[in-house]
Amino acid sequence: MEDQEDESINVSPLIDVVFILLIFFIVSATFVSLPGVEISRPNAQTAKSLQKNSILFAVTEEDLIYHGGTEVQLTEVPTLIEAASKDRNKPVVIQTDQWADAALLAKVIAQARKKAPSVSIATRKPR
Amino acid sequence: MKRRAHSLASDQAEINVSPLIDMVFILLIFFIVATSFVNEVGITSQYKDSASPSSQPNTPLTFELSPSGQILQNGTSIGLEEIAPLVRNAQEKSKDSIIVRVSPGSKAGLATEVMDQAIRGGAKAIKMSPLPK
Repeated sequence: MEDQEDESINVSPLIDVVFILLIFFIVSATFVSLPGVEISRPNAQTAKSLQKNSILFAVTEEDLIYHGGTEVQLTEVPTLIEAASKDRNKPVVIQTDQWADAALLAKVIAQARKKAPSVSIATRKPR
Repeated sequence: MKRRAHSLASDQAEINVSPLIDMVFILLIFFIVATSFVNEVGITSQYKDSASPSSQPNTPLTFELSPSGQILQNGTSIGLEEIAPLVRNAQEKSKDSIIVRVSPGSKAGLATEVMDQAIRGGAKAIKMSPLPK
């Protein structure tokens, strides 16, 4: 009886480790880098939930573009999308401040359009 | 001897806490991660690229945003709430491509609201294009 107990392998630590690895890979696949700036979103009535695994850009009130915590230039946007997407065709979400310049927003969307399959504007939740 | 028997009994009664700690750590990691997920809502303007220019013989419905925050359609100033009916009454063809022309100095919040209203009116694709200074 005691011999048999020694022979059987205890699988619970194995399951533990497998679960941790599973969670780790799920998380690393959906990880997004935040623009790292506070903005006040515009209102919208038709706002829908956007895809979670997307590339984020922010346009601030001072008409600056942020990506991944640093300020970027308008011309860098397609290169950054290409680097962040890694051939997985990730959509782009632009968080724009409602007092930002609309012409800059249009230019950012036009630049993002070159590389991304879809470009969305983040808004407040409709009430 | 009596004391030893007592300690043996208490050994058996003790709960093994290591799986509990394992589970708690997994849950902790899970909840830390779940709060860092980005849950955005927003609008998407799915405009077709100009691959088929022949499919747009008529001029698309165009809204213009002035720097002072006015919405102009065919030269006349309109309110935000008039956009949705305008789009709804427009021809089926022009619903495919609505253009919002924004002048430098106009606000992104207003531009987004114009797009939102156009989508509410049944617009399929909206293009935002900047006007030269």
